[in-house]
Parts: sequence; C-alpha cells; structure tokens
Amino acid sequence: MSLLSFYSRNTAELLGLTWQHVYLVAVSTGAAIMVGVPLGVALTRRPAWRAPVLGLANVFQTIPSLALFGFLIPLFGIGAWTAITALIVYALLPIIRNTYTGIAGVDPAVREAGRGMGMTDRELLRLVELPLAAGVILAGIRVATVVSVGVATIGAAIGAGGLGVYIFRGVATVDDTLIMAGALPAALLALAADAALGIAERRLAWQR
Amino acid sequence: MTAALEVRGLKYALPADGRILVQNVSFTVGLGETLVLLGRSGSGKTTTLKLINRLLEPTAGEVLVAGQRAAALESTRLRRRIGYVIQEVGLFPHFTVAQNVGLVPRLERWPADRIAARVSELLALVGLDPSAFQARYPHELSGGQRQRVGVARALAADPPLLLLDEPFGALDPITRVELQREFHGLERRLGKGMVFVTHDVREGLLLGTRIGLMQQGRLVFLGTPGEFRASTQPEAVAFMGAADEAR
Amino acid sequence: MAAISGRVLLALTTVLGGCGRHDRIIVGAKNFTESDLLAEIVAQQIERRVHVPVERRLHLGGTFVCHHAIMAGQIDLYVEYSGTAFTAVLKHPPVADRDSVYRQVANEYSRQFRLRWLAPFGFDNTFAILVRAADAGRYGLKAISDLSRVAPRWHAGFGYEFLERADGFAGLSRVYGLRFAAPPTAMDLGLTYRALAEGKVDVIAGNSTDGQIAALRLVALEDDRRYFPPYEAAPVVRVPTLERHATLARALEELGGKIADDEMRRLNAAADVEHRDIRTIAHEWLEAHVP
Repeated sequence: MSLLSFYSRNTAELLGLTWQHVYLVAVSTGAAIMVGVPLGVALTRRPAWRAPVLGLANVFQTIPSLALFGFLIPLFGIGAWTAITALIVYALLPIIRNTYTGIAGVDPAVREAGRGMGMTDRELLRLVELPLAAGVILAGIRVATVVSVGVATIGAAIGAGGLGVYIFRGVATVDDTLIMAGALPAALLALAADAALGIAERRLAWQR
Repeated sequence: MTAALEVRGLKYALPADGRILVQNVSFTVGLGETLVLLGRSGSGKTTTLKLINRLLEPTAGEVLVAGQRAAALESTRLRRRIGYVIQEVGLFPHFTVAQNVGLVPRLERWPADRIAARVSELLALVGLDPSAFQARYPHELSGGQRQRVGVARALAADPPLLLLDEPFGALDPITRVELQREFHGLERRLGKGMVFVTHDVREGLLLGTRIGLMQQGRLVFLGTPGEFRASTQPEAVAFMGAADEAR
Repeated sequence: MAAISGRVLLALTTVLGGCGRHDRIIVGAKNFTESDLLAEIVAQQIERRVHVPVERRLHLGGTFVCHHAIMAGQIDLYVEYSGTAFTAVLKHPPVADRDSVYRQVANEYSRQFRLRWLAPFGFDNTFAILVRAADAGRYGLKAISDLSRVAPRWHAGFGYEFLERADGFAGLSRVYGLRFAAPPTAMDLGLTYRALAEGKVDVIAGNSTDGQIAALRLVALEDDRRYFPPYEAAPVVRVPTLERHATLARALEELGGKIADDEMRRLNAAADVEHRDIRTIAHEWLEAHVP
C-alpha cells in the first residue's frame, strides 16, 4: 500500500507536520478559552452585551476559512500566527455561547441560595456557577477543538505548516496518496480530541 | 438586650416602573422569637424577606440586624450573619451534604476541623445521622432530608437571625407536618430571631410567636396567634375562615 | 490509492452525468478563470458553428478531476495545457526540448486515452516569476537571472504545485542559482498574489497570463534561460464525440492561434479585475475575432 510506504519513507516529516498541527490547534484553542470563557461569563452579568457579542462571533463563524486567512494576511502577514488568529476567531463562538448557556442554565434557586448565604459574585462564579456549567463549557471547547483540527489544515494555505501541507501538495500535484497522507492523520486527530474531551465532559456533567 | 431584627418603614418600588411592592412595614423580632409573615401570593412577604438580607435594596426605610444597620454593612458580610432557607432549598448539586452545610464557615475561612465538627453537630440537630449523610450528594436525598440539610446550612455560622421562605411548602403533607413539629422544638432550643414566611395559616399559628399579616404590600395586622384568632381585621378573618374550613 | 479514489470519482460523475447524451456536447473547465473563459468561448463557438446544444460544466476542479471526467465520458471536451498534461497526467520528467512537448502529448493522448488535442489557442500560460513593479524598477530586475543578486535578502512565497512539480522551484533554483533568505513559504497560489502585493513576500510564481499582474502592479521576469516548458492551451476532445459531430473539429480549429499572451491577459483581467460576465466577454471576443 503506497500510503504506508509513503509514511515509512517520510516518518520524520509526518511527525513534524503533525506536531505543527497539534501546536496550531492547542495554542489557538487555549487562547480562545482564555478569551471566550471570561467573555461568556461577562455576558451572563451584562445581558445587554449578549446579542451584539454572540452576533459578531456568529458572523466570524460564517466567513469561509480560506477567505478569512486571506483577510488576515495584510494584518498579520503569513505563517503560524496568522493561522492561529484565524483559528481563535472560529473557536470563540462555541466557547462563548456554551459558557453563557451553561451558566445561564444553573438552577436559579441554587444561585439565590448562594447569594442569600453571602457568597460574593466571584465566589458564586468559582464555587458554583463554573463547576455546574463545566460540562456544557467543555462541550463547547470540544466542538471548537474538533473544528480547529479541520480548519487548521487550511493554515497550509498561508505557510503555517501542519497536516494541510500534504493535502495542498497532493491537490496541487494531482496525487491522492499525498492528500490521504494529510487527511487521514488530521481526521484521526479530530477523532482523538473528540473522544478525549468527550470523556472529560461526561465526568464533569452533573446529574441531578 | 438588642433585638435580632428591627425593621422601620420599609418600602420597595420596582426600579423598572416604580410599582410599589412593599410599603410602610415596621416590626421587631427578639431573640427566641419567631415572626410569621402570613399573606396571599403577591402580598409582599417574600419581597420583605429579601429586603432584610438585601437581595433587594430597600427604596426607603431601615433594617437593623442585631443592632447594626444593614445598609452600612457590605451585603455579603450581612448575609453571612443571616441564615436563609428557601422553598426550593437550593442545595449545591455538586457539593456533598457536608460541603453544603459547611459552606458559610468555609467562606469565613474557619479551620477544617472546626468546620467538620460544626457540620456533625448541625446534622445531628436537624435529625440526620452525620456518618450516614455527610458524604451523600443532594440527589441522593428525599425532599424532607434536603430541607433538613437546608436548615442546617442556614444555621452553620450561628447567625443571630434566620429567614425562612416557605421552607416546607414543597413537601408532601406527612413530611411537612413532621418537619413543622421538629422545627417547633428547634425554635425554642436555638433561641434565635426568626422570620418565617408562609401562606399556610395553620403552619403560621403553630410556629409563630407572633403573626404579621400582609396584604398588598402593607402589614395589616401584627400580634400574637391568640390575638390573630380573635381579630376582626377582614383579611385575618378570611385566613381564619380558610383554616376552619380545612379542619 | 489513486485507483480507489479514481473509481469513487468515476461513480460520482456517472451519477451526476444524467441521460440523453447524444443530442448535446458537454464542455468542462478547470477551476480557474482562464479555463472557464476558454470553455465558454469554445461552447459558444460550437453553438454557432455545429448547431447542437452545449452543456457547460465549468469550474469542475483541477487537472485530476477534469481528466477523470473526460475519461469517464461525463464531459466531451475541456481545455488543457500541454506542459501540465506532459508532467502531471503523463508523468514525464520535464524536457529540455520545448517544441516537442505538444506533439508528444497529442500522440500519447491519442494512443492511451482516445482523446484528441486540437489546435492550441496561441498563448503560453507558463509559470511567471513575479515581483512588485517598484522593486523591479529600484533594483533593475528584468530577467530571472537578475534575481540572484537580491535573492539572499528576499523572501519567496510559492504555491504547493510550484514547489512540488518537477518543473517547479527545485529546477528553477538550480538553473538560476537562486538562494533566498529563508526556504520559500509554501502557501495557496491565490494568496501568494495578496502576500506579494501586501509586501509580506518579495517573489512569487504566478501564471503568465494572469489578469491580476497588471492590476496589482506586478511584473513578470523574463525566463532568460528558457527553464519553463511551454504550457500551450488547447481543446482536448473525446474521439467518439468528434466522430459523432463531423463539423466539430473544424469549428474548434478555427480558434487556433487566435489568442496571444497579451490577449489572454486582457480577457482574464476583464473577468477577474473588472468582474465582467464571462459569457459577455466570450461573446464579444468571438464577434470581434472569429466573425
């Protein structure tokens, strides 16, 4: 089978591109969590922000990925950081939305009891709302991660590397062994991320 | 001796449209005393309760808890000195019974062994065997057990004042009577000031040292259960009539 | 692997193919403007001269997709480039003898695939090494060999095809002795134009007939060592189709040699830069040049 012999001849390159791919996804998803979760929390405190923020994140989500990468070239140039920026943009919506819905879905009686016992807003958030919303938030992170693994292949269009390199190379040279060489590990990465985060999500979901 | 709670000329208007929900409410609750706020749905009982622990900010009037002006305290500090029990209980589903009961002591940064001792003491007080119950989660408890935990949680930091908002309202009739009876015993032993909201006149007459009757945001009657039974105030008469009918 | 996805594609195109093949001719195109434009010109020419309905399957995909579609009989013809057919379809190494490419491709297509190459349109859409016009002026760059002076300080961004192909960057850097400041960045071909125009890279490899070249104020450097093989565009037609429509070959031969490099750039610019409808562009061109 030519795919296997391709891998055996290019093992080091495959590992390098896979690592780049994981790096793009991990850095962008990490950054999207650090931005998205606080934003989602802010939306539960400032209901007036909800429509504009979610609307904007929604609009970003609808920009075709190749177009978004193109738009970002004048701003950030080419390479990994532009790709990471684009991936953050895509990852934000599911994370913000799930943080918001997760916290908004906490039983109002639980929140009232917490406030009535003298918890500060910060304590309520840290001890009650975030732990109870963790399963839903993680579901959003899971969606964002799986989408990022896919979109990161487009990063190869702006010189960001990753497994998309094989795909673009394969498309350009009419070589479907190469296309598979990139698509297969990318799909496996997505499945692995989905399964791992799925297990974590089930552990964090609180059944009443 | 200072009263557990003193309320003077309390008024609350909705910030949105200025509609008045509570006005001109004044009363005092001493230690060892239970004031029952009785009234129909929407009469302003629960609002009055929330004005006391500042879940709602009064439009006018003054609240003193153990002699201290509530408005002068940070709202979270104030609430930690007031036990609060609601009908839905509001136990934290991701906390064990022990963690739920020990919450306020934990917020107040008590040492762990002191919290543990206090939790055991309180669970025993509300009739739950600490060794059997402290490691359980709320979803493993019956409705009555949950409300017992709710009462224990409210008592955790030994507050001088307890606010109870229809705590037994969602329970089945048998459990409700059982808990009312036990609570009645507890009232005397605890010696705290309590404000107990209910629309059940028989519960009010059983548990209250005094009855405050609310109607359309005003306190229309304030007196002992005996005085309430004899009152000719029309709303009081209506409530007594309902109680007689149910008998 | 190639065989498997080839079969999948074949099955797919069969499903899409539909019925009633005999009363019309299906014209395909690759997925870029020039191919669409030429397909439209070809389609209108067939309608004018052969008088059969023409179905257009434009923007189908790359070389691979179009080749499989025509082999499966799901399109009757499309416009291919001699150099592409030579290296990408027939898998030959690049040749030194530029003039034999078209002849050799036509021979092998006829033998192996029962596909006929008709007369080329006349232009050569080869790889073009592009720089910003301002840089060309400042450093006096006219030919690719001039590039070796500035290359060590410059950054290049190339499409994957150019980096991978036997007749792409590897040979170019060898023939011209090019060494850039860093290995060229591999990226999407379309985005290399933007990256060059925005100053994020300094050299790219585009297509010589591209309409964007003038619009973005870029210049193509001359291939003074004649490195790139010719990419002559010509209609590739199924032999059974030619046999069914006796006048088809003659109608398409009429277009032979009618579009020079400049003319193709102008047509591409009309579509890509002025965003005019390709049907109108094709119609006007046919009226003016093939009355």
